[in-house]
Amino acid sequence: MVRLKLALCWLIVGLPLVWGVAKTMQNAIKLFQ
Amino acid sequence: MSAATPFGSAGNTPVRAGILDRARTVAPGSYNRFLVPPAALAVHLSIGQAYAFSTFNLPLTKLLGITQSAPGDWSLKAVGWTFSIAILFLGLSAALFGRWAESAGPRKAMCVAACCFGGGFLVSALGIHLHEIDLLYFGYGVLGGCGLGIGYISPVSTLIKWFPDRPGMATGMAIMGFGGGAMIAAPLSIFLMDYFKTPENNGVFESFMTMGVIYFLFMMFGAAIVRVPPADWKPRGWTPSVTPKKLVTTANVHVDVAWKTRQFWLLWGVLCMNVTAGIGVLSQASPMIQEMFAGGVSAAGAASFVGLLSLFNMGGRFVWASVSDYLGRKNTYFIFFVLGIGLYALVPSIGMAGSKPLFVLAFGVILSMYGGGFATIPAYLRDIYGTMHVGAIHGRLLTAWAAAGVLGPVLVSYIRDFQIQNGVPKAQAYSVTMYIMCGLLLIGLLCNVCIRAVSPELHHRETEV
Repeated sequence: MVRLKLALCWLIVGLPLVWGVAKTMQNAIKLFQ
Repeated sequence: MSAATPFGSAGNTPVRAGILDRARTVAPGSYNRFLVPPAALAVHLSIGQAYAFSTFNLPLTKLLGITQSAPGDWSLKAVGWTFSIAILFLGLSAALFGRWAESAGPRKAMCVAACCFGGGFLVSALGIHLHEIDLLYFGYGVLGGCGLGIGYISPVSTLIKWFPDRPGMATGMAIMGFGGGAMIAAPLSIFLMDYFKTPENNGVFESFMTMGVIYFLFMMFGAAIVRVPPADWKPRGWTPSVTPKKLVTTANVHVDVAWKTRQFWLLWGVLCMNVTAGIGVLSQASPMIQEMFAGGVSAAGAASFVGLLSLFNMGGRFVWASVSDYLGRKNTYFIFFVLGIGLYALVPSIGMAGSKPLFVLAFGVILSMYGGGFATIPAYLRDIYGTMHVGAIHGRLLTAWAAAGVLGPVLVSYIRDFQIQNGVPKAQAYSVTMYIMCGLLLIGLLCNVCIRAVSPELHHRETEV
């Protein structure tokens, strides 16, 4: 139960962060095009 | 820490502490300490939105004209003040409320930060609806700024207490969120404005309302899961080092004593110089790369460069702060300053050589050390002053950030303009700036070298708040 809660909490904060990083990386490619 | 029981007292009558009180947030035995970093991240990822406020700058100047600014619309300069006011109030509130946040506990402080930051968006939305810029200043600038300051310091001392074995890594994880927040907020703001846009409305009002609610809920999630460790808690299997390190104290220094010590002002200088050098470049990154590589970088490419710098800024916060647990804080800052001086001195030559990848790499490393400086400072304070008032001391030290926030951008843009007025080509107008940055970093290096342990006479006699 504790591990599930831990995984869920990390998922809640991690997903938006990964989305933001992916968007930034996607745009960063334009610099070298 | 006040008490390990959920009870306070009013005279002789025991009173159950409120749900937000520190006493009610003491962790049970089954609590996993790795739940604290997501709580801190929820707050820092939200308030990190401040770095992406510029995505609203242009739309806010077209509230009446929709597609272009109309007479009566706010000017870009007037809108630009909103961010400056927010940063000013970040520094002021962190300094003024640091001690309160320390005694009230992380949950109450996070709740107040959520109300201020989320509420600030809602008040600003009202200002946008009524087209009253004072309401925007008060909402995002004053209220939101207080949310930024209180939110920034609220989880720091709690993390340090939960991770006495890895304080740098723990605070780095949270403060990384402040760097990463902009990466979420920028695409989110653009998505929301596109979603709510109609031919009569550019969608800014609705975006502010939505973001206010989202950030309030996200920060409250952090407040709900955060816990403080019991008074005698230690990580399982961990024992404090028996060989004392020169700069790491096991004692505590009261905040009122700490800020009067020489070490506090040396650390203030260290943070201020490190931030000035980084923030100056960050604020001018887009025009700088376009002018130094004239014709070689488009406006979209420059925006990508700024995005990449944010990524280095965020990564540096976690990586450098974690590395400082092994190298020691003083050595880590030594690297920041020496490497920073070398890289700033090389930038004009790299620009002249026309090497874009090397240019991006050099500024990436510089920005990683800018972020690393922010993230390593709480652990440095903990080493010097102990854990007792580290949050409050950190709050006061953040005035260095406010000062650097003004000094850095002014220095870079003023010197650039001066150079261009004196006939220096745009591509070379940044060279002097880079050498001045080297000078600033040298001052920071000297401040860092002068830092010594606090005299035992200044140590606090009690071990807990």
